[in-house]
Amino acid sequence: MGGIAKGSECDVMEKSNHEVIILGIETSCDETSAAVLVNGTELRSHVISSQIMTHQKYGGVVPEIASREHSLHLQPVVQQALDEARMTFKDLSAIAVTYGPGLVGSLLVGVSGAKAMAYAAGVPLIGINHLEAHIYANFLPHQDIEFPLLALLVSGGHTHLIFFEAHGQYKVLGRTRDDAAGEALDKVARTLGLGYPGGPQIQRIAQEGDAQAFKFPRAMLEPDSLDFSFSGMKSAVLNTLNSARMRGETLTVPDVAASFQQAVVDVLVRKTMLAIKKTRVKTLLLAGGVAANSLLRQTLSETLGKESVRLVYPPPILCTDNGAMIATAGYYHYLAGDFAPWTLNAVPGLSFT
Amino acid sequence: MKYLTIDTTTKVTAVALAEDGRLVGEGFLHTTKTHSERIIPMLDQLLTATDWSLQELDMIGVVRGPGSFTGIRIGIATAQGLAQVLKLPMIGVVSLDTLAWAGLGRTEDIVPLLDARKNEWYTARYRWTRGEEKAECLTPPQALPKDQWLDQLRELDRPICFVGDAIAKAKGQIEEVLGERALILPEYINLPRGAYAVQAVWQRWQETGVGERVEPYYIRFSEAEVNWAKKEEARRSEGHE
Ligand SMILES: [Zn+2]
Repeated sequence: MGGIAKGSECDVMEKSNHEVIILGIETSCDETSAAVLVNGTELRSHVISSQIMTHQKYGGVVPEIASREHSLHLQPVVQQALDEARMTFKDLSAIAVTYGPGLVGSLLVGVSGAKAMAYAAGVPLIGINHLEAHIYANFLPHQDIEFPLLALLVSGGHTHLIFFEAHGQYKVLGRTRDDAAGEALDKVARTLGLGYPGGPQIQRIAQEGDAQAFKFPRAMLEPDSLDFSFSGMKSAVLNTLNSARMRGETLTVPDVAASFQQAVVDVLVRKTMLAIKKTRVKTLLLAGGVAANSLLRQTLSETLGKESVRLVYPPPILCTDNGAMIATAGYYHYLAGDFAPWTLNAVPGLSFT
Repeated sequence: MKYLTIDTTTKVTAVALAEDGRLVGEGFLHTTKTHSERIIPMLDQLLTATDWSLQELDMIGVVRGPGSFTGIRIGIATAQGLAQVLKLPMIGVVSLDTLAWAGLGRTEDIVPLLDARKNEWYTARYRWTRGEEKAECLTPPQALPKDQWLDQLRELDRPICFVGDAIAKAKGQIEEVLGERALILPEYINLPRGAYAVQAVWQRWQETGVGERVEPYYIRFSEAEVNWAKKEEARRSEGHE
């Protein structure tokens, strides 16, 4: 049975004296992406093939179509990443791939492809938690980050406050009990007729609006809780819009967008400050799609500045789903010798443990 | 010429190693585990058991559909990943053509039935002629409502041999419509096997001679595309009135 139970950690020792070169592959949602990363710091190539245009006419990501697109693009995207890095599979130390969370059909394309490539190339396979990778996107441009630290992960699917003791050692302090922050922004954007993806649209139109125009609620839950709840806040906006419509009034869209964005940012910042007070960390990592929101960044940066806490966030290109963050997380797993077996499966509901 | 074939278009994971159309090793799993969990371990075991190495391979063949959408993609992603690293040519074959090999040498028409959900089958019709090296395709691959297809087959007034993963459930229905004219082979013959893919891939290789770019063959559009097209059509016809 040796063959079947065997993991993928072949040839590691052989290459350990050289540079660590990781190919990172991401296919969890609507981006097919691959990157080649050397020693955790030098990004030699980064290819992202986005499906946004394909899904736009459906008003959101269609899982079956996403899987079909990944199936067509995975091989050329990986090849382009290797070519741009002027490398071949022989140069790689390991292949890292997202195995969850995400759309199961999409994840399976990446996992199956990465597994076959790693097996054929004789290098280890590394399974990456997509959420962890979003946080690790910060370590690519900033190698001087110090532990312990706090991470605020905000995206269309997730809102998490996570305490990191060291690489790979973490504890979730708070999470959303209903909608993710990005999800609430998306839904409000859709109701306002701003289109998909909603977050960036809200931010754009909010610039022309008055954030004080509407007093939307800020859901803080129990005084000591680090959890979030955005569904009630979202409903408050939808109710305001509905009752205005019944009265025959039209509300100024930029004002609604600006006021709601402000409410979401207020809650995120207040909870984050509470967590920082509790853990006494000196560093906050911002991650996820909503990390690109400039109001959130600006407010956090002002508030944290007063407490002399360092705010770190990735450049915009690393905030979306991308292969570079998978390769970065993969690098730290590689150093820890944390490899996946050939039986690695997609785990669509993967979270933090 | 040594090659590998992969078929994950149904619930069966079928991997095989072959040389010049001759089966050398075969893996067949019809259990509850996913393709993703068992495909590389199965390949690894086969290579060990046959004393072959990946580096000896000259070509990789994969069954590209129709069948389970996810299964099709797992098979192709795996085959492409291997081919990309090993710099090997690829061959893609159709699942129904592949299943025709289950009825090699029979005089009945061969009709593969694959579960297509929504009360439909992916199906086609083939006939073997003595001395010919390939089954003739008489009805091309398509997704058809079960009743409609069985009615069409009854009209033919010929004996028919059924193969494929949908048979277990369809046996009663088939015999009701076709009676004595239906021949249903046992499961160990009629499920996809590496041995059949080995034949279909070898045939296709001899036709192309160089390999080809392999893409999934779904037959069906995704549901979202179908619904969108319907809505568009409704919108357009409203506009004309
Ligand atoms: Zn993401």
